[in-house]
Amino acid sequence: MNKALHARVAGLLALIAVAVLASVRGSAQGPARPAVPPDIAGEWRLDNNEQDTTAQPPLGDYLGIPFNDAGRQRADTTAESIWGTPEYQCRPHSAPHQWRGLGGARILKEQDPLTRTVSVYHMQFMRSLDRPVFMDGRAHPPAYAPHTWTGFSTGEWIGNTLKITTTHLKDGYLKRGGPQTSDMYTMTEYLTRHSEILTIVTVVDDPIYMDEPYVESTTYTYDPTSSVAMETCNSSSFAENGGTDRHHVPHFLPGQNSALTEWLKTSDWIPVEPTRGGVKTIYPEYRATLNKSVSVADLKVPSSRSANTVDKRIADESPRDGDVHILPVQGNIYMVVADGTNLTVSLGADGIMLVDTGTAKMTDKILTSVRQLATAVASAPTTNTCFGANCPGKWGWASPYMNAVISSPAPARPLRYIINTSAALEHIGGNERIATTGFFPRGSQFGGAVENVGPRASVIAHEEVLNRMSAPAGKVAAFPAAAWPTDTYFDEFHKLPEYFNGEAVIVYHAPAANTDGDSLVYFRHSEVISAGNLLSTVSYPVIEVDKGGSINGVIAGLNQILDLAVAEYRAQGGTWIIPGRGRLADTADVASYRNMLTMIRDRVKDLKGKGMTLAQVKAARPTMDFDGRYGSTTGPWTTDMFVEAVYQSLQEKK
Amino acid sequence: MRRMLLLVIGTALVTATAAYAHHSYAATYDVSKEVKLEGKLVQFVMRNPHSFVHIEAPDDKGVTQRWAIEWAGTAQLGAQGVKRESLKVGDEITITARPSRVPGEYRALMLSLKRPLDGFTWGNRTGEAVD
Repeated sequence: MNKALHARVAGLLALIAVAVLASVRGSAQGPARPAVPPDIAGEWRLDNNEQDTTAQPPLGDYLGIPFNDAGRQRADTTAESIWGTPEYQCRPHSAPHQWRGLGGARILKEQDPLTRTVSVYHMQFMRSLDRPVFMDGRAHPPAYAPHTWTGFSTGEWIGNTLKITTTHLKDGYLKRGGPQTSDMYTMTEYLTRHSEILTIVTVVDDPIYMDEPYVESTTYTYDPTSSVAMETCNSSSFAENGGTDRHHVPHFLPGQNSALTEWLKTSDWIPVEPTRGGVKTIYPEYRATLNKSVSVADLKVPSSRSANTVDKRIADESPRDGDVHILPVQGNIYMVVADGTNLTVSLGADGIMLVDTGTAKMTDKILTSVRQLATAVASAPTTNTCFGANCPGKWGWASPYMNAVISSPAPARPLRYIINTSAALEHIGGNERIATTGFFPRGSQFGGAVENVGPRASVIAHEEVLNRMSAPAGKVAAFPAAAWPTDTYFDEFHKLPEYFNGEAVIVYHAPAANTDGDSLVYFRHSEVISAGNLLSTVSYPVIEVDKGGSINGVIAGLNQILDLAVAEYRAQGGTWIIPGRGRLADTADVASYRNMLTMIRDRVKDLKGKGMTLAQVKAARPTMDFDGRYGSTTGPWTTDMFVEAVYQSLQEKK
Repeated sequence: MRRMLLLVIGTALVTATAAYAHHSYAATYDVSKEVKLEGKLVQFVMRNPHSFVHIEAPDDKGVTQRWAIEWAGTAQLGAQGVKRESLKVGDEITITARPSRVPGEYRALMLSLKRPLDGFTWGNRTGEAVD
């Protein structure tokens, strides 16, 4: 048979086969069914050979990254050596870099046992935590839920392409060697399988640091003989950065990273400007600037817009909506988000403990929510499991003679303790009314109340809080006596004298931090720390220098939290930290906030050391790369006020 | 025989991938510079993804500092005959290394290690470079 005929016969056979298959499917299955998406589960081998996968990416190579000024400065000043800090030594690759990291990928599928549809894909890489991609239509968590290294992912099939949408990501890096992301980026991935090839298009949308989304593609090949290696990681409590300071934060001052153009010595055909990134440099139109036919300033490019409403997402971490939201944390502990401030609640057999009481206007809603929560959690009704005369003897409704089905549980135990982490209005505003709903035995007879005071909860705070709220006899106090702390401490810490809800609770003083009277509260069995105003994921810390606050005190307080807290695994989870404002955090989040404040402190100190006035320091914008994330030009705490507080608190004491 | 060969290749691949840095060496260390440190070993942590040797040695101003020298992971060191007990606290050693890019940071990437007492060395034979 000649070749042409061979080809014609083969083609005819193929057509027949397709027709037969189509008729069989049509007759056997009735009406057309939705297309079955391709199976992407299995072992996949990385085919990319990009510089950021197999080799060492050069420092300062921002080619193709649509950086804004903040993104560029953040990349220039963040040292790769940050990996050596105890909190980051075992962090996995950031989400955008996982597909580019070595070691291949494994995709597993979890099926609904009844419908056998895929309910969750699990993605694994050599340097990753398990990454679930939920296919069951669930919603993304609220903004005040924690962020993780892999984020929260949901997927949907669009034809033969799996679209994955990821939110709740920690800050990290676009690729190794410098370019950073904020913790507000979202990531959209498109996975398309063509036979044995899997193409992943990743869109990183981070308006804090980029003028438009960053897009890259990575290719994998199906390879059932490969297996994803598991990187073991043993971190230490000491910094790998040398020296003996475990709190050392390596970074470059702006303009002092001299290595950014080092790589161009061997790649001298590349002009410097595009290596610094920027949206105008990544489009073909940029070539016109190289022959000077158009200036960069006048260049127009078809830039695509970000779909990430980042300002709203930051605000939603601490919603000022006049309502109360409750997030279960761990063990006995719940986070109460109350109109722009967070409270911490411990619930259990001993009763209720409240860390901070919110603003006065929220008292009714806070009381109602906490009572409902306590009833549901600590005093939940249970069904009767034993009927008849042979039940073990129990007093009350459950006895054999009271054959009820549903119990009527005792009311929740009362509020016993309030702890104020500071004298800020959002921490003490509810003291007066909330304390009187509680009971702490301190009367002349055991279990009794002081006769002329009446039952009320114990209110614990550092003595500077009481000093600020009260006044000596004959002078007018800032707050009524009923709102004052009843039990103060003056030492480095205050241990509650006995377990509460089955655990030790220790109140630590953070000296000269936001003010002179700040505390953080450690729930030692639940592994939760209530950080007060030391930590805010929605703003720079409020530092009241006139009340004894200082930037160094805030950084020391954050370091104190990091010394107490332990990550569960690979720099994530473990001890949870409830911030004064914003989303629930873990060690890596606190480290990120500490790192940011350390960088800003060192920049202001450097500028001040050069003899700059406060106005000159402000004009130098030492917070520029963090303003999009934490700054504000309006409201009660602006970036200007923060820089001024840092500057003033770095004054040498005379 | 074929199975043995596959096993060897497989092991080599795993070793190679496990040893790759999660951070970038070129960005962490100045690979155009070299420092020589002579002093007393105070800690050897053999671990993954990278081991660390701590040495008390003078900085460029003559002030004794505790330096952290990043070394290879356990798989690479093990394959090259280095054990946890190969180095002991108090050993007088000489290290050449790439210094950190961050000013004032006492951190470096191991190039070679020598213990004059018994001639123990690392860094001069083929493959003795931190992956």
